Parts: sequence; C-alpha cells; structure tokens
Amino acid sequence: MLAAIWQGPVIRLIPVGMILLALQRSLFVEITIAGVIIQVVLALAAAAGAAGGSERGATAGVVLAVMYDMLEGLPIGSTAIPMTIAGTVAGLLAIIVADPQWWLAMIFTTMGAAVGEIMVPVTRLFTGASDPFEPRLTLIVPVVAIGAGVLSPLFVPLARWCLRIKSAEWVAPPRESSL
Amino acid sequence: MAIYTVGRRRVIVALLLTLVLLLTLDLRGNPVLDRIRDGFARVMEPVESATDVVTTPVGRAWNGVTRYDDLERENQALQDELDRLIGTQATARLAVEEAAELKALLSLNSLAGIPTRVAKVVGASSNNLDQIIEIDIGTARGVRVGMPVVNQAGLIGKITNVTDNTAKVMLITDSRYAVSVRVQAAPEADLGPADTRPSGRTNDELEDLVTTSTGPTTTLVTDVLATESSLPQNNGSNGDVLTVDDLDPAEVPVNATPTTLDPNDPENLEPAVPVDGEVIESVSTTTTTTTVAELPAKEFGALEGRGRGLIPQIRFLQDNPSLAVLQEGDLVITAGGFDSLAPPDIPIGVVINRADRSGPGGPLLDVLPYADVTRLNFLRVVLYTPLSEVEQE
Repeated sequence: MLAAIWQGPVIRLIPVGMILLALQRSLFVEITIAGVIIQVVLALAAAAGAAGGSERGATAGVVLAVMYDMLEGLPIGSTAIPMTIAGTVAGLLAIIVADPQWWLAMIFTTMGAAVGEIMVPVTRLFTGASDPFEPRLTLIVPVVAIGAGVLSPLFVPLARWCLRIKSAEWVAPPRESSL
Repeated sequence: MAIYTVGRRRVIVALLLTLVLLLTLDLRGNPVLDRIRDGFARVMEPVESATDVVTTPVGRAWNGVTRYDDLERENQALQDELDRLIGTQATARLAVEEAAELKALLSLNSLAGIPTRVAKVVGASSNNLDQIIEIDIGTARGVRVGMPVVNQAGLIGKITNVTDNTAKVMLITDSRYAVSVRVQAAPEADLGPADTRPSGRTNDELEDLVTTSTGPTTTLVTDVLATESSLPQNNGSNGDVLTVDDLDPAEVPVNATPTTLDPNDPENLEPAVPVDGEVIESVSTTTTTTTVAELPAKEFGALEGRGRGLIPQIRFLQDNPSLAVLQEGDLVITAGGFDSLAPPDIPIGVVINRADRSGPGGPLLDVLPYADVTRLNFLRVVLYTPLSEVEQE
C-alpha cells in the first residue's frame, strides 16, 4: 500500500501544491491584473486535466483544492469542487486530440480554468452565500482563464511530472513479413 | 493520450460526491476537520515564510513598476490630508476628550471599555471573491471567532477562523458579512455660532447636556491602573474586571462632589472595591447625576457587504419621515445589542447614497466605510463577547 502511495500521483503533487499555495498567497496576491488575482493553483489543476485527462485532472483538482481550502480557512469543498470540475473539463476537452500540442493544451487549460472560476460562485450559492455573483465576475473569469493559459506551457510539463504522465510514444507499425 | 471511459467517469463522480460530503460535514462543524486544518496550517507556516522571503522582492518590483504613478498621486493626496489634519488636530483632541467624558458620565458602553489586541496583517485572501485577511494573533492571545476587528478609522470586520497564532478576518465588504447598525444624524458642526466649542455645541448647550445636582446618585468607578479596560457586561463576581453595573452603592465610598485625582500620585491609589476577597485599586469616585439629551438615532438596520470593490449597504430599514429622514451624510455606527457580535458605538462609515425601493422593503443606504479596507497594516481585535454568550457562561 505504501508503495502504491509512493508511486501514485499524489506524492509529488502535495509538495508542489504546497509551494504553489505559498506562492498564491504571497506573490500572486500582489501581482494582480486589473485587480484580479491570478489563480495558479486552479491553473495547475486545469493543466493536469489537459495533460493527463479528466480523471487525473479531477484527482489533481481534489488534492490541490482541499489543501487550498484548508489553508484559506474555507469550508473544505467550496473551492475543491470548482477545481475538480476545472480539471475534469480540461481533461474532457483533451479527448478531441490524441497528443495535444502546447497551444492546444493552452486552450484546454484556459477553458478548464474559466469553467472552474465560474463554478466558484455557483458553489458558494449552494453553501449559503446570499449573492456570490459579483458584477466583477465578467472581468475575473477571463483574466483568471487567460492567466492559466499563459502559465500552461510551464504547468503542463509540471503536471506531467507530478502525475507521472509519460509522453505519448508513436511507433511505426511492424512490417508485415508476409509481404 | 486522454481516453474517456465509464470507469473514469465513475472516479470523477466519486470524487465530487466525496467533496460534497466533506463540504457538508465542514459546514456543520466537524472537530476532526478543524484539527486537520490547524495541522496543515502549521505545516505550511515554514513554507509560507520561506516563500514570502523569496517573493517579497519580486512583489515589490512588480508594484514599483505597475503602481508608481498611483503611489505618487496617493503620496500627494496624503500630504495634503496631513497638512489639513495638523491644522485640526488640536480641535479634534478636545472633541475626543469631551466625547469620552460624556460617555463616562453616561456609563455608555463604548470601545474604550473593552480590551483589545493589536495585530498585524500578514496575508490576504488569494481568491477573487472573498474579502478576508489574515492577522498574526490567534487563540493564544485571547482571540475568538466572532470578535470584531477595528482600526483607528472604524470597524474593519470580524474574526471568522482562528488558530493558535493566526486568525482570519472577514472584512465588512465581504458579501457574507452582516452587522446590526444604527443610523445617526451627523453632527451639525459647521453651523455653530461665534462662541462655539470644537464639538459644535455652545457652552450653554454643554452645560445643559450634563447637569450636576444633589439628588439620587449614580456612582462611577474608574480603574485607571488597568492596562486593559473592562468589558461593560463582564461579571465581576467571577473574578473578571469589575464594572459599574456590578457595584453596590452601599459598598462604594461616595463623595458629594466630583473629584479629579492624579492617577500618577501613589497616595490616591486606595483599595476601593472588594471582589471575591480580592481588592482592586481604583482612583476616582465621583457622584454625578446626569440629565442627558438623547443622541439623534434615526433608524436601525443591517449593514451587509457586497464584495470586492463595492461599498456596503444597509437594508431592513423602515423609513418613517415623521420621525427622521434618512439621508446622505448620516453616520453609521454599530448598534450593539444582546446577540450582536460587535459592541455598540463603533464608527463604520457615512451614508453617501439613498436608494428608495417600492414596497415594504424600505430604502437602501450606501455606506462609505471610514476605514480603507484595501490598505490595512495594523489592526485591533476587540476582545468582546456578546451579551448572549456572557449570560450562558
């Protein structure tokens, strides 16, 4: 069992997630674009989906966002559900291409992050927030999504390493000896 | 290559259901999850400290590039403000002293009577919806969930989450924040006649406001030695600091005339009131009967935050023009009360807009907070416990 955990995707994701969380709460709180905070943790969850598919994206989203909720003092799940959905959506989009190039992965990450950010106020609505849909959401969602897309060339390889995703290997079909 | 299969869909659904379960458990309050959260916060402390050291120069460089013009403008505006404030400092000091004196005479609950803890802002919410900041004191310094947080300008928010050495503060602009408030007419300081004190009241008005007589007496004991003043509603019998309401007039020495004693003079520090066999040292005992004009409270309502970049609003107002007209310029202060998490009379802001609504909803008042919640550095946590909880204890 320990070997399974050691060789599983979570063991690398946790320390990387901790560092990203610390960066999110220190550096990226300062570095805002039009007053919007870039969501690097969400970007990694979406990038994991774009790199490894919906299941791995959802797993990464759960692990990263549970840590996020715990550290932010939010109810566990209030951010984890949107991030899980972000990873899942990015992974579902990645189905359409066998081996997405970097710019396709960027698009998938962008769209996954956008859906994830939209889901944050939706989740808040279910947890009792009176009016979570702020007018700034029309600004927040595109900025967060584009920020995730810009970070995806860095985060997709990082997600591959964290989740032990090997690059697709294309091999030529064996020659037919009968010919 | 990503492949979508039924098995993967089941995994995703299972993960989402697990999160929903966790969310439900956490919202209902689960001590196990709270302990895990505290433990994770402790684990993250060194990581965050190290990251902060590394990233601080980067953040400063970014701010230097992107906010230089703003800082220059702000610096100019602050310089102008400073020049103006220096001119009115003496006047303001007199007004504050006068207000404190009147409050003391009235035995009103005020922030001056409640212990506070100074805290430094060490972090902010890293998402775009919450208006939450993190401060560097926690349960180890007596901070509890629900306590109000202020700065010198006024109310900032309330404590929503506490660990041993940190606490989360939900700002008054957060869309989940609500507090009961009182709308009050602004003082007409600018309308004063020639012989006018800084408060805007004439000498005659001030004399009428507080009159001394030889009738029934009210005793006021002030413990000037206490480094942290007392909660008005604390019960002195359980060892806490004694308050005015706990005093039995028969046990308290009463002077016929108001006295003013020098707190620095050791001869004035005599044991005054026994509490559970102990003696607290008090300084001045005054006998004063007050006849006081009512402050012009217009209406009570609930102040609610509306999120980042939007100013709070007051709802649940019943506009009754025959009593008072709610209008721009009215002051907003905390109402206090049995269940309120904030004590009364903490300034919050000023009404800058009134929006009338049809139906029984009453008007909406936009409130510009005195405190700039976007630039916070040092705060004070008011160690206030609501009356309801004090009675349960």
